[in-house]
Amino acid sequence: MINALIGPVWLHRLIFLGVALVITFVRLLPLQTTAGHLPGPDLLLCLIFAWMVRRPEYLSALMIGAVVLAEDMLLMRPPGLWAALVLMGAEFIRARSALTRELNFGVEWLLVAGVIFGVFFANRTILDMAFVDQPSFGFSLLQIIWSVVAYPAVVALSRYGLDLYKPAMGQVDSFGRRM
Amino acid sequence: MAKPRTYDSEDFSRPLRRVLVGFSVVLFLALFVLWRIDSPRVERFRMALIDKVVPSFAWAMAPVTKLSTMVDNFQSYGRLYEQNQQLREELQQMKAWKEAALQLEQKNARLLDLNNVRLDPMLTHITGVVLTDSGSPFRQSVLLNVGMRDGIQDGWATMDGIGLVGRISGVGNRTSRVILLTDSSSRIPVIVQPSGQKAVLSGDNSMLPPLDFLEHSDQIQPGDQVVSTGDGNVFPAGLLVGQVAMGADKRLRVVLAANYERLEFLRVLRSYASAPITDTGALLVPLPPRPLPTGVQGPLMPAAGLPAATQPEEAGTAAESTASQTITDGTTGARSD
Repeated sequence: MINALIGPVWLHRLIFLGVALVITFVRLLPLQTTAGHLPGPDLLLCLIFAWMVRRPEYLSALMIGAVVLAEDMLLMRPPGLWAALVLMGAEFIRARSALTRELNFGVEWLLVAGVIFGVFFANRTILDMAFVDQPSFGFSLLQIIWSVVAYPAVVALSRYGLDLYKPAMGQVDSFGRRM
Repeated sequence: MAKPRTYDSEDFSRPLRRVLVGFSVVLFLALFVLWRIDSPRVERFRMALIDKVVPSFAWAMAPVTKLSTMVDNFQSYGRLYEQNQQLREELQQMKAWKEAALQLEQKNARLLDLNNVRLDPMLTHITGVVLTDSGSPFRQSVLLNVGMRDGIQDGWATMDGIGLVGRISGVGNRTSRVILLTDSSSRIPVIVQPSGQKAVLSGDNSMLPPLDFLEHSDQIQPGDQVVSTGDGNVFPAGLLVGQVAMGADKRLRVVLAANYERLEFLRVLRSYASAPITDTGALLVPLPPRPLPTGVQGPLMPAAGLPAATQPEEAGTAAESTASQTITDGTTGARSD
């Protein structure tokens, strides 16, 4: 129904915004007020990269930037830096969408893990250069490793829950346009 | 075939996209640089944003939080028998403690009365409900639903029923953020009783924050009480923080008295800063002895409006004698002994 009204692109954009909202909402629930818990995966990061590999046209750069910046603000991170780095990582993947279409999942996972680590180290380095207090290296590395581990689960959920797949070569959409 | 392919127009928009992406990246980085240079301004903006956004979710957050705590509680029913035994034991111990506490309370009341102590009337509190936590494992803070409209100010101390929890840092109109003592940017001056050693409690993102800058750590034993000091006008003095414990890394750490597992309602203590000492030299110079007003020797009597002493058997006679003295002397309540 909604699909017919606004088209698949805007439908998926709305879904993305909804999922991002739910992820942030759950993280903000005051359930973990004790310190020293091991960090879990950064699901929003996985979601952005997983969708970017599959359907780059569903995520506009502005939307990624706005969502991550809002998360920066709400989660008390240094504002702007993480948003800029995630946006650059996402655009890096978007620029290689012709390449990733051909890749099997193992190689895709390696590529995304590489981007995640790149974003993480760039973030650490820039914060170090700006003399910002940071959590210990191992502790924050754990979150990144978790994110890489959680990536296949996010992909599976997007694939089977939201029917988000890489278009095959030469596949056409309902208007007969090449995808 | 009916519709023209959209690829041609995309070819034109591609450079535009690039410019747009580059522009937003530069904008984000500029925001980061601005935050690094002028952090308070950006943090105020952040607080205003949170103030707008989070309370509108409160209706959804409250039931989910309640539900998950109910699940937690339900899980604890499984251990009902053990808990019952444990509670019985604790109850026995508590009875002894209650007796001791009652005696101490009476003694304390008598001593306060003897010293004519008046507790600071400005030290009242506002209670707020915890809306959200920081949402990140690297930062320890919570958001309260009281803010500028309730008169909250930056820097005020926050407690749960028992002990100190944190410090207000960031006030919006309807919300305010509390940096918990466990956050890695939290530093508060404390004093360890009974040895009287001063130290700084510096959070390190663990449940047991360590004591830094101790002068004689050998005078401190695990189990000693840690309370806040008024040093540096950070906090009002004498708020319970916790107990000293020896960490696994042989550092002296503090077991916090507040129950961090269940931060639900927090008290924000209204503490107005005492008058700052601004002139530096005046204290070093010995002041000339000021002549006493005539007829005044010794301490002044308490003001007439004070409630009568809480020792009823002596109060009657004392009141009579003072009354007769004021009449006979005709002075302004000066003691004549």
